Amino acid sequence: MPIDWLAPESSYRSYLQARSLLNMLIIAALIATSYFTGVYPKHLVPLWIIGLIWTAVTLFFSLYFASRRFLFTGYAKTAEGMHLKRGAMIRKIRGVPLNRIQHVEYKQSFLERGFGIARLAMYTAGSGGADLTVPGLLPDKAMQLKAELLNTIAHEPSPEDSHHE
Amino acid sequence: MSELNWQRTPLITIAFFLFKQLKQFVTNISNMIPVFAGIFVAGKNASWLPFALVGGYLVFVLINAVLSQRFFLYAIADDAVHLKTGIFNRKHLTLNYDRIQQAEIHQVWYFRPLKLTILGVDSAGSAGKEVQIPGLTMTLAQQLRQRMLEQSNTAENASTSNDASEPSPAPVLEKSFSSAEIVRAGIIDNKLFVFLAVLIYPISQFDLLDNYVEPWVTAHMDWFSSDLAWLMAIGVAVSALVLLFFGAIVISLLTFHDLKLTSDGERYQARSGALSIRTLSFRYPKLQGVFIRRNLRARLLQRSVIKVSQLQPRVPQGQGGQGQRFTLPVVDADFLATFCRQLRIPAAASVHWQRLSPLALLGSSLWLALLAPIIAVFLFFVADTGWVGITTAAVVWMLLQGLITLSWRNYGYSFVSTEQAPSEQWFVVRRGILSRDQNWYPRRKIQQIDLRQGPWLRLLGFAHLILHTAAGSETIRYLPASEAEELQQQWLEEIATNHQPWM
Repeated sequence: MPIDWLAPESSYRSYLQARSLLNMLIIAALIATSYFTGVYPKHLVPLWIIGLIWTAVTLFFSLYFASRRFLFTGYAKTAEGMHLKRGAMIRKIRGVPLNRIQHVEYKQSFLERGFGIARLAMYTAGSGGADLTVPGLLPDKAMQLKAELLNTIAHEPSPEDSHHE
Repeated sequence: MSELNWQRTPLITIAFFLFKQLKQFVTNISNMIPVFAGIFVAGKNASWLPFALVGGYLVFVLINAVLSQRFFLYAIADDAVHLKTGIFNRKHLTLNYDRIQQAEIHQVWYFRPLKLTILGVDSAGSAGKEVQIPGLTMTLAQQLRQRMLEQSNTAENASTSNDASEPSPAPVLEKSFSSAEIVRAGIIDNKLFVFLAVLIYPISQFDLLDNYVEPWVTAHMDWFSSDLAWLMAIGVAVSALVLLFFGAIVISLLTFHDLKLTSDGERYQARSGALSIRTLSFRYPKLQGVFIRRNLRARLLQRSVIKVSQLQPRVPQGQGGQGQRFTLPVVDADFLATFCRQLRIPAAASVHWQRLSPLALLGSSLWLALLAPIIAVFLFFVADTGWVGITTAAVVWMLLQGLITLSWRNYGYSFVSTEQAPSEQWFVVRRGILSRDQNWYPRRKIQQIDLRQGPWLRLLGFAHLILHTAAGSETIRYLPASEAEELQQQWLEEIATNHQPWM
């Protein structure tokens, strides 16, 4: 049975671009500080070369990488579990059975608030961190999905039901 | 709420808090290396500084232990144990009996002459905690433990609605391990070999022998002829190694002395120890993984090591969570078969091992084939080692390639289910170059399934399948992409429709 993948909001692409731009600006600030404090090895790598590299990397990440990642990202809730696919170069499709979800968390960072999107993180008993995080959801939709999931978890058939089937 | 009768633990429990603090220090010692480096640098000018710090720390530990004992209060109610802890941050913890997953009685060596024990309690939930109540008398600890486990068992029985529960069934499995077996365990789990590997590095780095040992020897023992000195150095080294080897056996004899395994079919318990008696146990419904380990020494001795994982509250890193895993350090083939049958693990003959695609071999071999000539060229032209360098590079290449091939050949995975009545489906992986390890996971307890595909794999139409369980994750590499997708779907469905409790 093929899975009906749902795409994240289109503002998620802008969010990814803004985030990579922000990261690159931090790197630029670091380079600038090292230049003005004299730590930067001017005689080894002239400033224009590092500038060129910086521009290339920035363009790569914010134009190519972010859109590619956005295009592949998708999530789906089927009868048996939550599915998430993500990744730009290395693609990952993750499936979590609904009856293994321990708790659900709604998350929204400062930057995400600016773009009007939120994340929904689901945890299982397996690993330490968040196990499945659906990015780029409208806050309302994320809340709705959260309620749905919690409802499903709460109404999980107990062992007796399956024994008597 | 009825009035709680708050009690303080006996004075001797100061020792417990003292050891707890020291243990924490030892486990965190690697994080403190930068601090030590700082002290070392600063200490060049002020030789009193290290002493002041060590002294200060010892005073702190002592005061901390005394205060911890003063402020540790417990109260036993009908439905829960209440704890009040903390010197500055007061904590009030309520442990309800029906939430308790596990309760163990630890008999530590410094409590044993006084007939006191430590009760260790695991509570349920992902924010679960392991709590220890020190200094209880044996009878009280046993009573408490009985009450806790009864409560949680009745809760469990009510939810699984099994047939009328028998109060105390006779043990279905009982096994004592002789001292000869424990000596074998000491040989199998000998840290000497790890120690050697760790030792070789600093020795090769510091030229210890040339810079320090030799001048010292020449300065202090000029009556020594150099031939004798060498003989003696070798003798000292060999005897140190022999000492380490036997030391490990002694440690194993102490920790696993009088090891006794009992089981009532659901609950498994291993009790052992010469000085401190510790009990490790697990309950079958909570089992998350069974690990059968056979390293080269174990294979030569025809023994195996069994470890069983059950869901445990998250132990903060570096506090020895692994040490508490249920372990049988040495079992022979017969008992391994019996134990596996008890755990509903299918017999070895019924497992059809599947190998990874030869592509899995190609990946690492390609990298090696790329790297080896580069190193050979570097050795020949830059490092100027001549033909010796090239030959070494070639030999190392062949050796590594052999190891890669061997590890690929020995790797296998399979999906098997037991033929016995309460059928259990398993996912099993075997691996090892010289060792033979098997990891068994109950299939319905898988937590999540990943499909991973890098650019290189996408080009070939393959994917890695990663299965995450509560006891660790396993990767099946280089499956045809369509097959991997199908398996992922199939298992997710299977797990989702299985409503048996998994923890």
